[in-house]
Amino acid sequence: MIKIKNLHASIEGKEILKGINLEIKPGEVHAIMGPNGSGKSTLASVLAGRDIYEVNSGEVEFDGKNLLELKTEIRAREGLFLAFQYPVEIPGVTITNFIKSAVEEQRKHRGLEQLTAAKFLKMMKEKKALVEMEAKLNNRAVNAGFSGGEKKKNEVFQMAMLDPKFAILDETDSGLDIDALRIVANGVNKLKNGNNAFLVITHYQRLLDYIVPDFVHILYDGKIVKTGTKELALELEDKGYNWIKK
Amino acid sequence: MSLNKKITKEYYNDILKNNVSLAEGVIKQSAENYIKNNDFPTTKDENWRKTNLTNLLKHQFSCAKKVNFEEQTLSAFNISGLKANILVFVNGYFYQEYSKIIEKNNSLQIESICRIKEKNPEIFEKYFNKTNIENANIFTAFNTAYAQDGAFVYIPKNKIVKNSIHIYNFTDGNTQKTISQVRNLFIAEENSEAKIIQSFHSLSINYTLSNIVTEIFLEQNSKINFNTFQGEGDDAHQINNIQVVQKRNSSFSNNIATLCGSLVRNDLGVKIDGEGCETDLNGLYLPDREQHIDNTIFVQHLKPHSYSNQLYRGIIDNKASSVFFGKVLVGEGAVKTFAEQNNNTVLLTKYAKSHSKPQLEIYNDDVKCSHGSTTGQLDKDALFYMQTRGIGEKRAKILLLNAFAAEVLDKIKIDTYKNYLKFLIDKRMTGEKISGHCYKMGECRVY
Ligand SMILES: Nc1ncnc2c1ncn2[C@@H]1O[C@H](COP(=O)(O)OP(=O)(O)OP(=O)(O)O)[C@@H](O)[C@H]1O
Ligand SMILES: [Mg+2]
Repeated sequence: MIKIKNLHASIEGKEILKGINLEIKPGEVHAIMGPNGSGKSTLASVLAGRDIYEVNSGEVEFDGKNLLELKTEIRAREGLFLAFQYPVEIPGVTITNFIKSAVEEQRKHRGLEQLTAAKFLKMMKEKKALVEMEAKLNNRAVNAGFSGGEKKKNEVFQMAMLDPKFAILDETDSGLDIDALRIVANGVNKLKNGNNAFLVITHYQRLLDYIVPDFVHILYDGKIVKTGTKELALELEDKGYNWIKK
Repeated sequence: MSLNKKITKEYYNDILKNNVSLAEGVIKQSAENYIKNNDFPTTKDENWRKTNLTNLLKHQFSCAKKVNFEEQTLSAFNISGLKANILVFVNGYFYQEYSKIIEKNNSLQIESICRIKEKNPEIFEKYFNKTNIENANIFTAFNTAYAQDGAFVYIPKNKIVKNSIHIYNFTDGNTQKTISQVRNLFIAEENSEAKIIQSFHSLSINYTLSNIVTEIFLEQNSKINFNTFQGEGDDAHQINNIQVVQKRNSSFSNNIATLCGSLVRNDLGVKIDGEGCETDLNGLYLPDREQHIDNTIFVQHLKPHSYSNQLYRGIIDNKASSVFFGKVLVGEGAVKTFAEQNNNTVLLTKYAKSHSKPQLEIYNDDVKCSHGSTTGQLDKDALFYMQTRGIGEKRAKILLLNAFAAEVLDKIKIDTYKNYLKFLIDKRMTGEKISGHCYKMGECRVY
């Protein structure tokens, strides 16, 4: 699905990613953990195509394509999704209008017929139910004035609407109460179908009780310094990061 | 005459003075005196610092004439679905044959001001130039001294005018560069209510100058909803002076949308001369190329317990520029005044310019006033966020711009007109060509 080879990236001349190597196959769930500031969100942003980061070297192959050559929107249409750590507020653009535009453009890119209004609304209803998001949010502006938890649910809702091949969830669990955490995790699990893949960035082992990863990576100072199975997350919970840092 | 030479006020005086003018006697004399003693404003004048008339004053305009005008032209500019009382003016001349009053009521008057002056001199004299607008600037002086016609609306006591009043103003400079002067007068008597749309369109690509003066009087408990659509051509200039006087518990709402025009200056003055008034002033402007749009507003709170609001938004493309100069004065006696001012502009290129100056002048302590102003590019984080969902950059920008404009457009109270504007703005943003409506607008650059 995605193959990251020796990826180096910097911002304002400061190197943040210092040689990332990672391969994720269809059907897999990977988790990335790591101390604050280690570069987790940077990796996510670089994969999504944020232009404030400069890729200094390395390659990323996504579904056979050279990902780094594609514009952000093309990456998305090719099936890459990023659930933001800090979802952006877009005053004046309703969720319905926003997600409709996104679905339309993605379907067009994939050569699919456009949905009828009725089908689209039905799909919205289904996917909202998946994350137990309130219907009244439909006509609110995207994330504007949403609570932390509502914003995160909205990310998972959008993911469900767009049905990506590969989704990165950047701390989607942060700021969620226990119930919301379970709802969001369930949402992700229901989307798993053996052909898609997930990269879950988190600080908390408890998320991984719900979304069980095949691999856990520890990112430290711009590099993956350790890879293991979900037991690694438990070990981290126990020992903290100091033993990694030495 | 060389294009670099400034056309003088004497030149304007000579070409305009031969018109049969509305004003007579003292009023005319006063206006002529103003012209004698004053000149065109320059950027040294406080109110004109960011609007330079040098280029305008290089054009040798001549007096606009009555031209042939056909019904089908009118229908090209029609607001779809709007059922309205219609007045039509071309180059400042009234075209009665196309005007249509659907709301019959003995004392409701929707007419040419010139005809009212003949038919009903009492009411004309009671209100005409009672704001002494001839002393505002040389444009209002020229208009007062020599304008010959314009729209007149009189809403009698307790009358609620159900259908909107749509006043079309066309300019046609086909054969020469022309100046036309329009003089409007709107009066809402006690407890009356009306919605007015005034639209400006060009019929030619030549240079034109429209010099418009509008006086609006709101008596007790009356309501006027006043909409202005400016969609003249890329070479059209418009100087638009509006003076409003509000009496007790009246409500005036203003919505001005400027989609095109070489140089557009809107001077809007509101005098709140009664308690408990509401004044809601909104504007949206979308200059492109090298266009310049100036909204200068002066709201005077003279009596207690009134509320005024200004929300002006601009999207400035290419090398265009805009001015928002909004001033609120709260007089000594105007306690419990609540005044808000907001101006936001989005600059689409690095050459686009916007000047913004909300200003408060307060002479008592018991008021609540706020003002804010923002200028900037589209939110990059929002654009990126949208792109990560697969929304292309252009579509993302259009979504953001439409949302930005919607705050102003959603205040429009006539749905058909609001939809018409949204349609035009959307077409403008996607770069689709449409005929009519706003001359050459379809050729405006795609955002
Ligand atoms: N615009 C910027 N300018 C300079 N440094 C930046 C910028 N954006 C991020 N950084 C730096 O890059 C480093 C990595 O940040 P990143 O957000 O990727 O960390 P993270 O691993 O996601 O942390 P957290 O767990 O707190 O979310 C940090 O040291 C951060 O300060
Ligand atoms: Mg982060």
